[in-house]
Amino acid sequence: MEKILTKKSFPEWAEKLKAYKIYAPILDDGTWSYEVINKAGDIDLDFPNTVQAPKKIINPQREVFLEFGRSDEDTPEIKEVLPEEKPVVIFGVRPCDAKALTLTDMVFDGDSKDVYYLKRRNQTVIIGLSCNTPPSPNCFCTSVDGSPHSEEGFDILLTDLGDRYFVRSLTKKGDTLIDLGKALFTAPKANDKKELTKIHTDAEKKLKREIKDVAKIPPKLKEMFESPLWDDESMSCLRCGICTYLCPTCHCFDISDEVTSVSPFKGYRIRTWDNCQFPDFTMHSSGHNPRPDKASRLRQRIMHKYQYFVERYDHYQCTGCGRCVSKCPVGIDIIEVLNKVRDYG
Amino acid sequence: MDDTNVYIPKLAKIINIKEEVGGARPIKTFRTQFLTETKFAHDCGQCAMLSVFGKGECMISISSSPLVQDYLQFSILKTGRVTTALHDTQEGDIIGIRGPYGNGFPVDAWKGKNLIFIGGGIGLAPIWSVLQTALGRKKDYGNLMLIYGARTSKDIVFKEELEELRKEMTVHLSVDVEEEGWKEFVGFVPQNVTDKKPSQKNAIAITCGPPIMIKFVIQALGDLGFKDEQIYTTVENKMKCGIGICGRCNIGMHYVCKDGPVYSWAELKELPQEY
Repeated sequence: MEKILTKKSFPEWAEKLKAYKIYAPILDDGTWSYEVINKAGDIDLDFPNTVQAPKKIINPQREVFLEFGRSDEDTPEIKEVLPEEKPVVIFGVRPCDAKALTLTDMVFDGDSKDVYYLKRRNQTVIIGLSCNTPPSPNCFCTSVDGSPHSEEGFDILLTDLGDRYFVRSLTKKGDTLIDLGKALFTAPKANDKKELTKIHTDAEKKLKREIKDVAKIPPKLKEMFESPLWDDESMSCLRCGICTYLCPTCHCFDISDEVTSVSPFKGYRIRTWDNCQFPDFTMHSSGHNPRPDKASRLRQRIMHKYQYFVERYDHYQCTGCGRCVSKCPVGIDIIEVLNKVRDYG
Repeated sequence: MDDTNVYIPKLAKIINIKEEVGGARPIKTFRTQFLTETKFAHDCGQCAMLSVFGKGECMISISSSPLVQDYLQFSILKTGRVTTALHDTQEGDIIGIRGPYGNGFPVDAWKGKNLIFIGGGIGLAPIWSVLQTALGRKKDYGNLMLIYGARTSKDIVFKEELEELRKEMTVHLSVDVEEEGWKEFVGFVPQNVTDKKPSQKNAIAITCGPPIMIKFVIQALGDLGFKDEQIYTTVENKMKCGIGICGRCNIGMHYVCKDGPVYSWAELKELPQEY
């Protein structure tokens, strides 16, 4: 379904989505992030991209799996804790971040089903905003099968045409949302479509960064497990883990117990994001560590994204958002590393 | 409770605890029974995620044979937070169990073969289930042999069972360093393998122990003419989910919890050497 919605009518449409919990980008203390919106008028889609990807809404940094406790002396009781059942709309998701959700879907909705992730995912409607200009100088989505106007992972994709949005609904969930504000939408005219195509084509040309011949990289990586390149490239790593925390596709997690009361005994089993750049991510209790140094951990991050995931799922586990490049405190740049890998030896 | 939620453990009672090894690196063997009827059919070599509520979870090999229906058995070295909590439990205490996880040994494909079990320290636990299964179906297999070693005689697990085992199959034990009264081999397990020269003819070798031991056992077996396809091992890595999604136990594209933990050396040598 294709429609036009004027920016003036936009808050009115959002107002009609009251049954949903609405997330949208909010600027707070100089940082854009997806937060719950209470007033439709607060939605501001004039933003670059958020610091944290919207994955935090589907796969929160900390979530409760179950409650445990013991009321009598012997038998513990456990109670499954599932996510709140409430339909969610996320406004203003960038194409790289929506595509990232389609990648984490492959992981959490594979042979084994992760009910926590899937419950959140299935009750969430994703409304995207295509990038008329790259939100970051380190955007490289076109290198990894993406584009500034990719529709992958979206229910609705908006494109900013100045005073109005070109609205493309891609799923039934999207159609339902448009139907809620039906009267506000008009049919697109020929010039709207022409403008849309021009904006989309121009946007692709504005990207500044690129991994050339990316298809050569997975087979090349396979030969480079023992390469000294990993030592050189990881030398400056501080093990802060920001690259993976901010990555929209990184999904590795820890499961641990939190005791909230000793008597009566009770607590939570929780899932928290974990990080392959931390030494204890893989350290055995014996002290043996299969990935004992920064080089092996950087190699894991790169190889997971550009070799192992490709072998398992036939996709790069990277959508070119550029966050890991922009936010790395020591300037480790995955684009540069991969360009070196391709040309190595 | 939703049966499809893979993260929810089933409650089980510890019905028996046996102290195998004391001292600074204690090992205990636990037998558990589910509180309610639970579908839990494991294969030899599979693992289970054990919970001590308030301490967390850890992945442990199931050391009882699938032929045993009455209980699940786990032999556990006290080493981290959860294994320490398990060592602090008493008979009658309730823990959580989820699983079984992993691929298991291809025991049916080994019918008619001679089986050589090679273990070091607590590494006997993962192969104990397949050893017991082979014993239980003795006529399905050829000759059975165990080569097992530990740091000292005090560190040997399943001491009584090993004595019983001598009536059924060849058992070669070793300790790492000389000690008074020790009549069997002195030296590391791979050296004992070289010393005992098991024949590779129609044989499968199954080995588990510390990574360094496995490495040299494989070398020793290779020197004796074993082909890579005749050598099986189980890999241990830190695990959290057990279903191939939490992302830490991988060796290359393989998740040990799901695609392993059992590999033939022919398979394992093709993976990045990172375990």
